Amino acid sequence: MSIMQYNGGSVIAMVGKDCVAIASDLRLGNQSLGISSNFEKIFAMTERTYVGLPGLATDVTTLHEQLRYRLNMYTIKEERTMEPETFIHLVSSTLYEKRWGPYFIEPVLAGMQKTPSGAFRPFVASTDLIGCINFAKDFVVAGTASEKLFGVAEGLWEPDLEPEDLFETISQTLLNAVDRDAYSGWGAVVHVITKDKVVKRTLKGRMD
Amino acid sequence: METIDISRLKSGEVNLGTSIMAVQFRDGVVVGADSRTTTGSYIANRVTDKLTHVHDRIYCCRSGSAADTQAIADYVHYYLQLYTQTHGERPPVHTAASVFERFCYENKDALSAGIIVAGWDKEAGPSVYNIPLGGGLFRQPWAIGGSGSTYVYGYCDATYRDGWGRDETVEFVKNTLALAMSRDGSSGGVIRMCVITEDSVERLFVPGNELPKFWEGKEVLGMPLTKKDGNEPVPMAVEP
Repeated sequence: MSIMQYNGGSVIAMVGKDCVAIASDLRLGNQSLGISSNFEKIFAMTERTYVGLPGLATDVTTLHEQLRYRLNMYTIKEERTMEPETFIHLVSSTLYEKRWGPYFIEPVLAGMQKTPSGAFRPFVASTDLIGCINFAKDFVVAGTASEKLFGVAEGLWEPDLEPEDLFETISQTLLNAVDRDAYSGWGAVVHVITKDKVVKRTLKGRMD
Repeated sequence: METIDISRLKSGEVNLGTSIMAVQFRDGVVVGADSRTTTGSYIANRVTDKLTHVHDRIYCCRSGSAADTQAIADYVHYYLQLYTQTHGERPPVHTAASVFERFCYENKDALSAGIIVAGWDKEAGPSVYNIPLGGGLFRQPWAIGGSGSTYVYGYCDATYRDGWGRDETVEFVKNTLALAMSRDGSSGGVIRMCVITEDSVERLFVPGNELPKFWEGKEVLGMPLTKKDGNEPVPMAVEP
């Protein structure tokens, strides 16, 4: 079995109108045995930047701590908050450093990017396990259910969804995609990020 | 001694990674199964029927390779029809189980099939036969099988009692399968059961949202140590 499938788990991020959403399942397994239904894979890196880390669970923890360390060093030196577009480049370089012995993670990022005029624009991006960045305009997916997520998202997503509608769309996308994947599921969590608040909701899903 | 390779499924082959069981009670047997069929991690069918009729009062539960078990069950079904015509009477469950066992044992190197045979006949009354991977034949008062069964041996050992009636047995099967489906990634979907007695075969269906619920891990352990959400980044004391 592939090392990327060992623990299971999936993440998706979507762009809306002046908002972004990022969602993941909560499963941690040991191959087919489910161990935890409480394993969060989405982390708040700054107030407006959230990163999802699906893949090998030990690397989820390690990579999160690595990124947190590097982000803190940046914040101390630059005396300002890192923007999401910069952060995805930080993720990329951190992963490429391990090119010949990579972290088994495919990070997904969602955030609100500050524009020169002072406003915020929605931003999503993802990378592969060795740091190739994908700047998407609509949505990004990763994890054991990634192919199913692509399929449902392609069908349900439309541009300029308001936060409440984006929540419904991303929730349905995630729930129905993970229900076709044996290694994702066991609960789900959705973060909807706007310029002034982040709402975190837990979804009721199938527990099989 | 050579070890048998359990992971015998060819790449792309469809797997009935499964939870199946059969339990004997006073007047008959209850057979039950989940409904998930997987190809790797993709759930190819989430509403599969793994309870296969091989004769009027004899059903089998299939686990392992979907193709292998379907092929074997088809042959046994044919054989038992022939038996009925030539002998002029219903085949005993033991006969059906023996045909399965002959197939599974003689072709053990090529097959990946774990089958539970259960039913009612007038000689023995209700009976349950377990035929695991090597092709051995084991008559048991209750039998569990499939990848999900490993997680519920303890529950079954602790819960099973002799002398139950129909309703208690159905509850037992439903609870066991719900637990296995919850823990095993290769099991899930809905619960299908058949209650086989002398007079009838009654099919039962429990949809996913009506499955019995057990502890789902949202309790004390794993919660943040303080009331504050551990995720919030602490702001640095910097000039704006």
